[in-house]
Amino acid sequence: MDRLMDNSGITRRALLRALGLLGLAGLGGTWPGAPWTAHAQAQGPGSLASLGPEEPVDVTMKRLFGSRPIKDGSSAIKLELPLIAENGAVVPVSVEVNAPMAPQGYVRTIYIISDKNRRPLNAKFTLSPTMGQAFVGTNLRLGETTDVRAIAELSDGTLLMAKREVKVTVGGCGG
Amino acid sequence: MAEIGRVRIRIPSSIKQGDVVKVRVLVIHPMEIVQRRDGKPVDKNYHFINRVVVTYVGKEIAQFETTQSISENPFFSFAFKAMEAGPLTVTFLDTQGGKYEGTADIKFS
Repeated sequence: MDRLMDNSGITRRALLRALGLLGLAGLGGTWPGAPWTAHAQAQGPGSLASLGPEEPVDVTMKRLFGSRPIKDGSSAIKLELPLIAENGAVVPVSVEVNAPMAPQGYVRTIYIISDKNRRPLNAKFTLSPTMGQAFVGTNLRLGETTDVRAIAELSDGTLLMAKREVKVTVGGCGG
Repeated sequence: MAEIGRVRIRIPSSIKQGDVVKVRVLVIHPMEIVQRRDGKPVDKNYHFINRVVVTYVGKEIAQFETTQSISENPFFSFAFKAMEAGPLTVTFLDTQGGKYEGTADIKFS
């Protein structure tokens, strides 16, 4: 019985030491079980830290506009999108805001936000009065069937929003 | 991807002074999307265009901030008011220091 106790005591000590070493290795970030830690500090404007966070659309809206009221701009904003996008990788969108573009009042920014993308803010277009017309277009990637919003910020701070749903047959975000 | 950074810019064939002109511009670029391993995003410096600057006769008239939610070989269109003859330049900047330019000469007929 005594010998058994002795043996188990040593085993326990050895086990604890081994665990301690494992812990240190884990802190150093070299433990092979976690290969991504080696790249945890990617640098540059394309690194994960520089991208917009992955978040639900409500959080994006709050981050961009706080609690500012957003008016219904469906009459002022012409948002062109396909009803059904067979290929989510290329979804043409265009936004035209029916508002004067004069130095004393113009459309300052147009945001394109798709609700169900991992990072909902897709693009931000900053315009100037010399453009004569608030019109922008591009091609979006949409992961799944989603609402797409166009939000126009006028130079006096008014926010207008138009929204449309696009049915996406094949997602365009690569899984 | 040898063609990466090639810019094609299209303007209407005839422009009158004071017209609001629609411009279409396209650049060849992979616009890398975030890769995932075991459901976790892989951190690296993804290669995509994050800024587009439009200048007209030496003056910056618009700036677009773009993300990976823009398709590969991104296409943009916009309008501007042609008041004077001169170059319209669209510059694309990517996350790895790439800078690609396309210029169209605005002339009045």
